[in-house]
Amino acid sequence: MARKGWLERWTLRFAVVGLLFLALAGVEGVLMRTQLAAPGSLEGFESLMMNLRPVGREASSSELFYAMLTAHPIVGIYGFAYMCVMGAFYYLVPTLLKKEVRHPRLVPANFWLQIAGVLICWGAGFFGLFNSLYTLYWPLPVAYDRVPLAGSVAFGLGLVLIEVNVLFFAFNLFSTVLSRSDSRPYGVGRFLAAAFGIPRLLRWLGLRRGGPAEPDYEELPVFIVAVGRGSIDTVINAIVILSAGVLLLTYGLPALLAGIRLNPGAVDPLIYKNWFWWGLDMVADGNVLMYTAGTWYLLVPLLVNRKLYGEQVVRTVILADLLVSMFVWSHHLLGDRPQPLGLLILSGQFVTWGEFVTMGLTIFAVMMTIWKARPVKLSVPLRFVLGSIFSFIIGGVAGLIQANVGLSVVLHNTQWVVGIHAHMMLLGGLSMLIFAVIYALLPMLTGLEARSQRLASWHFWAWMGGAVVMAYAMGLAGIQGMLRRTIYTNGLYRPHMAVALVGGVLLMVGLVAFVANLVVTLGVRNVVELFLPRRLAPEPAGE
Amino acid sequence: MDRTERLWLVTLIAIAVAFNALTLAPLVPWQRWLVLGRPHVDRRVEIEIADYTFRLPPEGVEVKAGEFVEFVATSRDVTYGLGAFRQDGTMVFQMQVLPGYENRLVWRFDAPGVYDIRSTEYSGPRHSEMFVDDAIRVLP
Repeated sequence: MARKGWLERWTLRFAVVGLLFLALAGVEGVLMRTQLAAPGSLEGFESLMMNLRPVGREASSSELFYAMLTAHPIVGIYGFAYMCVMGAFYYLVPTLLKKEVRHPRLVPANFWLQIAGVLICWGAGFFGLFNSLYTLYWPLPVAYDRVPLAGSVAFGLGLVLIEVNVLFFAFNLFSTVLSRSDSRPYGVGRFLAAAFGIPRLLRWLGLRRGGPAEPDYEELPVFIVAVGRGSIDTVINAIVILSAGVLLLTYGLPALLAGIRLNPGAVDPLIYKNWFWWGLDMVADGNVLMYTAGTWYLLVPLLVNRKLYGEQVVRTVILADLLVSMFVWSHHLLGDRPQPLGLLILSGQFVTWGEFVTMGLTIFAVMMTIWKARPVKLSVPLRFVLGSIFSFIIGGVAGLIQANVGLSVVLHNTQWVVGIHAHMMLLGGLSMLIFAVIYALLPMLTGLEARSQRLASWHFWAWMGGAVVMAYAMGLAGIQGMLRRTIYTNGLYRPHMAVALVGGVLLMVGLVAFVANLVVTLGVRNVVELFLPRRLAPEPAGE
Repeated sequence: MDRTERLWLVTLIAIAVAFNALTLAPLVPWQRWLVLGRPHVDRRVEIEIADYTFRLPPEGVEVKAGEFVEFVATSRDVTYGLGAFRQDGTMVFQMQVLPGYENRLVWRFDAPGVYDIRSTEYSGPRHSEMFVDDAIRVLP
């Protein structure tokens, strides 16, 4: 393992830190689940933790809960998922294109900046008690009588750092995909036109013929097409969330440094909410879907040893996914009455159903590939791929039920949304796919297969079972009216939350089995050595 | 695209059209007055929210089952939510309450009874305390 290449080692580092962030998000998730199932049970733990905080007053239980809840998605998405995606793409993109990473120095920079950004956001919650939730609904994050000023500034700083870093990552990805050995890379305009399928449209209309200088998505491996198109959403998401971070700093820094309070009324809450959700949705309904599809398209043919079913259709589906992702954001504003009704029905409901068609075709292509390759060996990565497909179906359908002008009246902001939709997608769909990639890439990166089949089985069933139990307990509570982001002290929904806690504990069991398997496979020494400075020296020649 | 895939695509589109048509139709009862028509409002209830507190009309909220009631909610500081809940905790309806806007929702209670209200959006650490038991009385 020690002799493995530079890029492989960085990919492993990204994966290890990504898993540490998953464990952090998981532990905090279980703590919050405990609080919901048995309010007050964490008071001893809370007072212990208060010793670590510089805040000069006793914080309330709910303040601690919401500070944790604010950091939770940042750690889960930008810590766990993004770290793993960065690591995997930095290995897969150059390998599939038979090129070098265009800017190798950005790889370690991405690694450290992402860790720093996520930890600052987490610290803004843990130490600074910043508690406006990731939604940052204006003007709550700058209402300093409700959220601590220093925490708000720190969270803004963390967000800025994360998103600037994501932009660097996307830049490096695009540069790698577009770099050509014979001449200068393609320009941004032509690349964007190609990503949105404009040359194809023009050819179809008989207005232009594709020349050799045209960046053409038709000839790239289908995984790269998904990465390229998905990364457009990654960039938009980064720019929008960056703007939210800058806004927090614009209000927070003058208040912190000079006591100047700017008027939050200068920013319209509804326009802000539209802008914020348009950008945030580029992850939730954008790059997640495209990256996932691309990864299925890459992994499944490799695992079943058969070419992808209907590859041409699949390329068009990725383009459709990109177009759909631009117009679906209003489903997050279905509870906002001032939002125009036409926009709610069109963007919030109809366009969102476009994802039913695109994901339906995606899953069909993947399942047909497996079906036509029968008999297939149900290897560990393939089981996790199937788990992720199963979860995407459940979580996706739940999402379509709530993205409905009529049904959202009784589903908006309930546990349904966050349980059977969001967490089913993230824990079942996305995480299981990341695990599948790690199991599949491990032999390529280290030359070692995951050692214990039994631990892999434990991992699979505990994780899958935990995700389903938690999602259904929350979903059932939600459909009866249990709100998300709300602590019930009157005993309502206690049984649902107790079952959800069991799901959370099962998820932790699955994660422990996975980490144990990785440790016995790689050896603790090898994992630690990955991070020792003397191992960081060799760099690929030339940039 | 082969025949099986085309058939699958048609199935997907058919399910999408059917689900959207069904849920836009009066099969979801409130679609009749939220989307399909604008009924004559029989009563208007104004609720102002500020500093984690609901300010209900001083005479209380008393409406009749079957009449169209327009809830007009405003916030003086941050975003809140306004939701009505039955005694067993199940939700009747909810909306977001954006500051700087009049947030209006028309509702028709079909059953007499007493309903609680609760803020349905996070507004700060004291959010979970934002409920008023027995806030709406619906008379026969």
